[in-house]
Amino acid sequence: MSEALTSDAVWQVYARRKYDEPLHEIGNVMADDVELAKVYARSIYDEFSWVEMVIIPRASIVTVISS
Amino acid sequence: MNTTPTRTDNSALFAVLSSLADNKQAVGRRYAYWCNGAPALEAAVAAAAMAQDELGHARTLYPLLDDFVQAEAEPAQVVPETRTLHYHLAFLDYDFAGWSDFVATNFLFDTALTTFFEAAQNSTYEPLRQRARKIIQEERIHLIHGEGWVRRLGKSGGSVKRTLAASLARLWHETLCWFGPDDDAVMQRLYQEGVIDAPPAVLRTRYLHKVMPTLTTVGFAVPTTFGETTQQWEITEALPWSEWDSVGRRLHASVVDA
Repeated sequence: MSEALTSDAVWQVYARRKYDEPLHEIGNVMADDVELAKVYARSIYDEFSWVEMVIIPRASIVTVISS
Repeated sequence: MNTTPTRTDNSALFAVLSSLADNKQAVGRRYAYWCNGAPALEAAVAAAAMAQDELGHARTLYPLLDDFVQAEAEPAQVVPETRTLHYHLAFLDYDFAGWSDFVATNFLFDTALTTFFEAAQNSTYEPLRQRARKIIQEERIHLIHGEGWVRRLGKSGGSVKRTLAASLARLWHETLCWFGPDDDAVMQRLYQEGVIDAPPAVLRTRYLHKVMPTLTTVGFAVPTTFGETTQQWEITEALPWSEWDSVGRRLHASVVDA
């Protein structure tokens, strides 16, 4: 059962505490399901009362410069 | 100034509040076991958050019991620390056998309790109305978590899916029974007094409306059918009322263990 219980998909988590500041990366979560990823992000990164939090699949990030 | 509070005489409401508090307490304690045993760090943190929520719900419900005449007979029974009655589901008598039991409880039973709280959002009993709204808000996340894990384990197929199916099957009847028989005197009284906005049969239908889409999506076979004319999910198998303990609002343990 263990294989079915582990996730490969990584989601980058971004949040901000005030509307006048930009979203910044606060961490990541692993989940195969976007809805589960949202639950995980909320429960793990709950140290502040964020005004906004978003998640982005790491796989969708396009590298522009890589040295 | 020494004032004697006026207690409410309502055995039905006292019974259901006792069941809600005990079940929330039991669910929270079972969840807590998985705070460091879940399949992934993310799931462990979610389990911890949900355990905290469930225990918090229990803690807000237990004090209400002291407002009732029914509490006078045994004052120790309305205090969580001294309470020896356990009106929670028989399924929750023992530790979860595995993560699938956690998911089944999260998805099936916790959602049933939320269905009740949704029916109490405009309750004539103000303390329940206030608590219901907060609980419903927190339970939205719990349902998303439960649905996500049912989909995930269901799509895995094979033994993983069979294990979850077994957990769901063990909890299925007792969860549906928790609302009480259609003519349940306790729930019917709450409905007639406006404590909740629907009788047991309607609560069960609302509940099926919440859980069946997910169960259907991943192909879990449960004895229900979708009525084309009624546009509602209906149970196609008689519930085991002969094994129902109407005081504890639970099935006899031997039925759930079988």
